[in-house]
Amino acid sequence: MAMLEIRNLHAAVEGEEILKGINLTMNPGEVHAIMGPNGSGKSTLAKVLAGHEGYQVTAGQVIYEGRDLLELAPEERAREGLFLGFQYPVEIPGVANTYFLKAAVNAIRKHRGESEMDAMAFLKLIRERMKLVKMDEALFKRPVNEGFSGGEKKRNEIFQMAVLEPKLAILDETDSGLDIDALRTVSEGVNALRSPARSFLLITHYQRLLNYIQPDFVHVLVKGQIVKSGGKELAQELEQSGYALFEENAA
Amino acid sequence: MSAVAEATSVYLQEFRELGRDEPAWLSQRREAGIQAFEAVGFPHRRMEAWRNLKPGALTQQHFRAADAVGAVPMALAPTAALVPDAWRLVFVDGHLSAGHAVLDDLPEGLTVRPLRDAVVQDGAMPEAHLGRHAVLDNHPFAGLNSAFWADGALIDVAPGTVVDRPVVLVFLSSESAAHRASYPRVLVRAGEHAEIRIIQMHAGPDALPYLVCPVTEIIAEANSSVRLNHIQEEGAAAFHLGLVHAELARDARLHVHGLSDGGKLARTDIFVNLAGEGADARLDGLYLVGDGQYADYHTWVRHQAGHCSSQQLFKGVLSGKAESVFDGLIHVHKGAQKTDSRQQNRNLLLSPRALAHSNPRLEIYADDVKCAHGSTVGELDREALFYLRSRGIGENDARGLLTFAFANEMLQLIGVEALRDHVGQRLAAFMPGDATVKELL
Ligand SMILES: Nc1ncnc2c1ncn2[C@@H]1O[C@H](COP(=O)(O)OP(=O)(O)O)[C@@H](O)[C@H]1O
Ligand SMILES: [Mg+2]
Repeated sequence: MAMLEIRNLHAAVEGEEILKGINLTMNPGEVHAIMGPNGSGKSTLAKVLAGHEGYQVTAGQVIYEGRDLLELAPEERAREGLFLGFQYPVEIPGVANTYFLKAAVNAIRKHRGESEMDAMAFLKLIRERMKLVKMDEALFKRPVNEGFSGGEKKRNEIFQMAVLEPKLAILDETDSGLDIDALRTVSEGVNALRSPARSFLLITHYQRLLNYIQPDFVHVLVKGQIVKSGGKELAQELEQSGYALFEENAA
Repeated sequence: MSAVAEATSVYLQEFRELGRDEPAWLSQRREAGIQAFEAVGFPHRRMEAWRNLKPGALTQQHFRAADAVGAVPMALAPTAALVPDAWRLVFVDGHLSAGHAVLDDLPEGLTVRPLRDAVVQDGAMPEAHLGRHAVLDNHPFAGLNSAFWADGALIDVAPGTVVDRPVVLVFLSSESAAHRASYPRVLVRAGEHAEIRIIQMHAGPDALPYLVCPVTEIIAEANSSVRLNHIQEEGAAAFHLGLVHAELARDARLHVHGLSDGGKLARTDIFVNLAGEGADARLDGLYLVGDGQYADYHTWVRHQAGHCSSQQLFKGVLSGKAESVFDGLIHVHKGAQKTDSRQQNRNLLLSPRALAHSNPRLEIYADDVKCAHGSTVGELDREALFYLRSRGIGENDARGLLTFAFANEMLQLIGVEALRDHVGQRLAAFMPGDATVKELL
């Protein structure tokens, strides 16, 4: 069974259609990259998949592990193993990272019929996963993303992913705005989590990320449609020719 | 029944019927109180400072002063014992509940006495200060308090005395207070260099209407420090209308931290006169207003001397069909140069039917001053909600977490751990979802 099947997905924001018929199938263990120019609808796709209420699905279907994904509330999608790494992670002053993540872990465990994680086990898990993304422990005690640099926020997203252990991770431009060291760390984090049961949808603006994470498939998204799909060599092609060629075709 | 509001004389009549055997100075002040009330009666829409408050049922009946001490309601026993390591006076229905008092081993220099006794035993001090500061013209309920108060507390801290434990004043209403009024009265003086913290708590049972009109006067002499935690958690059908008035001498410091989380109709006015150079006042407040409740803070900060500073931070959380008012005056006298004054009011609406009025008022007659103010009314941040939910946290819990995050800043300013935990529990009961606040704090 496919992990995710997107069929003819149309979505609008404030009455304006942004996604105009997306088709995409992902199997367990696969890494797909979606590339495309600014404003082509990459983040819209990510948010529709995660269940943001500001986006209206006007046509099409999304099947996740055999179920209708679009019927589920955002928290239910998360509990079923979907994770969105935000392009712009939100700052939440007044809520400590510790509390936030513990609440998330326990909500997911409860959904699975597991008991709450005790404080010791939680701390152990946190320490271990923090190492994976080389995150400073001090950040963990601070309010969620508050005063974090751009790089720290992205690292925090990968750290949360590592703790929550999703089945399907959608990473929206997690590589943007990172210097090379941070990009390496983030990529190593992703690579460490790759497994036959886990799929990744990497949304990126830059081909550079794909030097560190080898995708199985690359898709080009232009003006709300996937205009070309191929293997990782497509990314190189894009690097040379740019999106201009595809934008003409799509127009 | 005819509207009592117009026939204010039922209170005058009640006053005349009370034969009190008291010093002449006190009788005169009581008389001034009832006259001030008679002059204006209950608030109405044409009174500028009271235009948002709809007294409603308050004026439809005569709340006679409760004439005896009631029993501490079982559910409020923990409230009576709040903040364990403290000196304490407990009043029920406006009268001293002697068995609950904890006044052993008061340090030298600290006087804590029921006010009824104090007007006899400490004659000069109350005569010099009681009712000499709080202005009655603007506040009909302060007038009623002056006329009717039965008891309360006198706290007198001698110069140089640093009191290391809080003094807790608990004012409860009991089941026998249904349709009755109580008028708690507090007088505080901190001598030069003295330091004191006072916790003033008001609570009562939920199901019955009663009226509480407390008045607290604070005289902070040169370089003294007074901290007041003022907590209003009356029962759901109660009317609570009172004031705090503070006079600050040179270099005196005042911190008032208010919580308003109860009552059907609640209003507290905080008057602060920064009368001596270098005085500093900090007013903080959190109001949690549920469906059908009305909560109101009015502040009156008057910079009367130069080089004084004041900061005000008030936050409100409203749910259901709640209504709130924050009305904050900063008045800078002509000679009060180098004033540094700030005021912030932020309101969080958890429901589209909630209504928060925010009214900053600046009256500035000096030219070399810093005055900043800001006010916001908004809903929970949609992106933050989505972020939390996208991690598996349920919608209600996410709303609760963000509500907590909004209010938490005020909890952290409370300054007494046991009280902060108590207020945290109140907040947890108020906010959506079932996040465990103990872990959040
Ligand atoms: N919340 C929103 N409100 C209004 N317009 C939006 C919103 N989100 C996205 N859009 C519009 O949708 C289009 C696609 O945006 P987006 O999905 O963010 O593109 P990308 O991530 O590929 O840069 C843009 O034209 C953008 O202006
Ligand atoms: Mg984007």
